[in-house]
Amino acid sequence: MKKKKSAGIALDASEKFVSGLAYVLMTLFALCAILPCLHVVSKAFSKGTYVTAGLVNFWPKGFQLETIQYILFQTDFFNALKNTLIVTGVGTLISLFTSITTAYPLSKPAFRGRKVITLLYVFSMVFFGGMIPAYMVVRMLGILDTYAAMILPFAIVQFNMFIVKNYFEGLPEIIEESARIDGAGDLRILVSIVCPMSTPVIATVALLYAINYWNNYFHAMMYTQSPSMQTLQVYLYNLIQSGSGYLENMAGGTLTTNITPEGLTAAAVTLSIIPIIALYPFVQRFLIKGITIGSVKG
Amino acid sequence: MKKPLALLLSLLMLFSLAACGGGGNNQPASDGNQSTAAPSGDKNTGGEQTTVPELKGPGNVTLKRLGYNAAFDPNNDINADVLKQSTGYDVEYFMLPSENADEKLLMDISGGANYDSINISINQWRTLVSQGALQPLDDALEAYGQDVLAGNSENVWNALRGDDGHIYGVPYMYPHSHEIAAFMVARMDLLKAAGINEVPTTIDEFYDCLVTLKQHYGDEYVILAGPYLPNSEANENWVIPKTIACAFGIYNDWMVDENGKVYYMTEAPKFAEMVEFLTKLYNEGLIDPDWAINTESTLKEKFTSGKAIITCGNRALADFCSAALIENLNLSWDDLAYISALKGADGTCTYQSTEAIGWISCVPRSSENLADVVNWWNLRVKDQLFITIGEEGVHFNYDEDGEIEPINPIFAEERGNSYWYLDVTDQKAYEFQWPSRVRKSEGQWHSFSAVTMDADQSIFVPNTFAFMPAKENYAKYNTAIFNDLQDYITQVMSGTRTINDLDTFMSDWTNAGGESVRGDLQGWYDEFYK
Repeated sequence: MKKKKSAGIALDASEKFVSGLAYVLMTLFALCAILPCLHVVSKAFSKGTYVTAGLVNFWPKGFQLETIQYILFQTDFFNALKNTLIVTGVGTLISLFTSITTAYPLSKPAFRGRKVITLLYVFSMVFFGGMIPAYMVVRMLGILDTYAAMILPFAIVQFNMFIVKNYFEGLPEIIEESARIDGAGDLRILVSIVCPMSTPVIATVALLYAINYWNNYFHAMMYTQSPSMQTLQVYLYNLIQSGSGYLENMAGGTLTTNITPEGLTAAAVTLSIIPIIALYPFVQRFLIKGITIGSVKG
Repeated sequence: MKKPLALLLSLLMLFSLAACGGGGNNQPASDGNQSTAAPSGDKNTGGEQTTVPELKGPGNVTLKRLGYNAAFDPNNDINADVLKQSTGYDVEYFMLPSENADEKLLMDISGGANYDSINISINQWRTLVSQGALQPLDDALEAYGQDVLAGNSENVWNALRGDDGHIYGVPYMYPHSHEIAAFMVARMDLLKAAGINEVPTTIDEFYDCLVTLKQHYGDEYVILAGPYLPNSEANENWVIPKTIACAFGIYNDWMVDENGKVYYMTEAPKFAEMVEFLTKLYNEGLIDPDWAINTESTLKEKFTSGKAIITCGNRALADFCSAALIENLNLSWDDLAYISALKGADGTCTYQSTEAIGWISCVPRSSENLADVVNWWNLRVKDQLFITIGEEGVHFNYDEDGEIEPINPIFAEERGNSYWYLDVTDQKAYEFQWPSRVRKSEGQWHSFSAVTMDADQSIFVPNTFAFMPAKENYAKYNTAIFNDLQDYITQVMSGTRTINDLDTFMSDWTNAGGESVRGDLQGWYDEFYK
């Protein structure tokens, strides 16, 4: 019987050692990342009395769903999730629109005042006016306590716009010239030619924007007043800070047996990461690409 | 970082208020439909003439109330409906964030946020008063808030006056003036197994109890776990258990002697004796070797996993721990006991009363609904029992002693969150009603009834500085010098410093602002109690 040839290059002993060491180290790093998550998830499903006693490690002890049900149906979780999804979804679309429509003219050498406008974007990227002026602008626009307050201040992130601009500059000019000869205007060229050719950078930037909106805590906290407007990050922080007092004022009995402040926080965190975990496998390649895309021309 | 920000925000607010203040008086912005009221009492020495707007009445106005952060939406809670049912007023509720609440409040108020009633801490209130951001309430209280006025003592109202003599807020007083808030929870099953059948009540019995437990169990258990340092209580978090401190005549970081002289804890006659006692416990292995690094969470873990016999704690800890002990270790309620304020070797005990202003409600100058806000407060004080505790036979019954006994789970479901909506109470009535809120939780009530309800009332000393507004040096230095003191005590306990270093510590203490804080306190004390 013919012995099957091994694919790849044979490694010598020292290379095997280094390779093995790399596997071990990477496994340890992976465990360092996974175990805390597993600990939190285990707490979310464990009986409160075991959580209080610190008896839960990496697997639920005294499995129960009461804490999860409590978060879902007795707190503002769904409303906060809805707000975050709206802000993330609408915000990402608006940001993409502003980034693309800004990046396209700035990518054209023939555009007058290009350098000055680009400089203005660079300047505002480096020097931020500060929290109070930003708050005053939002207030004077009359958008405090609205979704707009959580979206418009971040409608364009200069860094993301420059990524798109650099990518546009690398596209072959000749294709646009052909379209122009065929009678297409700037808008037609942008929508029908440039954007379809730029799906990798658009996907990447969309992801960067989405992450920015999803994770935004501080501005969502400062620019909103109504409890019904709080986003998931604000909801989580408030629950962590105020959950203990909240439980103290509710009944004893099963509440303190199954639901504890630590368990409540763990359950809320577990539920809030589900959308990200569900989405991550589909967007991971764009996230990795986002580091380098647009940085090299041609 | 926070101080420059707060300063900037204050300047911004001053600028905003000056710009829209209309002549710099403190009159409420109004629709012009106002009637002048007679000046109020003797204390109303301010030069300005305040006015009382006419009442719009329930159904004609929607009030906006801002409160501290909570883990629920107050607009969707059943208690919002209860308030509407009781008062007739439509109210929208808003919350400050759990983080950066001071900055957010200043930005909201300076930005002209149109809140009608804001429920804030004493320090936040003081800042707003000093910025002239609040409306004086005297005349509106006279006209529409007689029950509110009658529900609190003159001392309390005096504490709520600004420098111009006007009242700028209404108080939510801590609901129980004589609570032993800090105590110890003990495993009575283990005490009995070691031959101890009664919890100690004096400092000597306490020491003997720890020694007996150590002799019986050796290193099998942590004999006394502590200190209990919950996140929310600032200087109330003591590295020395108050249960022990009170046996040495120490009940607060700042105290006042019989001649009216303000002195610091370190200047108390028995301070050194107290620290030496704690050091002795530490050296003899009677208290947790992790005393310096324990947190609220590790303390709970040690006690509820059965590793500690006694722990420092409070009602909240007793609640969660009792549930865990009964479930995890199959204990019964009889296996839990509580060590209350201990008496000293001379038989004396001093525990500071819990009489204090918890929160203050006030009306920003931008509000056009002053009369209705005060009326709303007053209606709620009138119907306080229904709003905060519920309806007899539905939410509670009276027990054979005439005390309120909640009916669970409806009490918790329908009145559990009523605490958040409280702006002002009839203090005396609420002191009677409030224990029922503790009673709804078996764990809390078990400890509260044993420690506070049965407490010897003679041990309580008045909370001398309960009504003191935030003073500059106090606000600036007191937390830092208290933290230094806690560090010093911990260092003495662990042997890295000695009690003989007290003079050096006091010298550092003076340099760190201790004398300036004393000056603030002495000045206020002399003025307030003259």
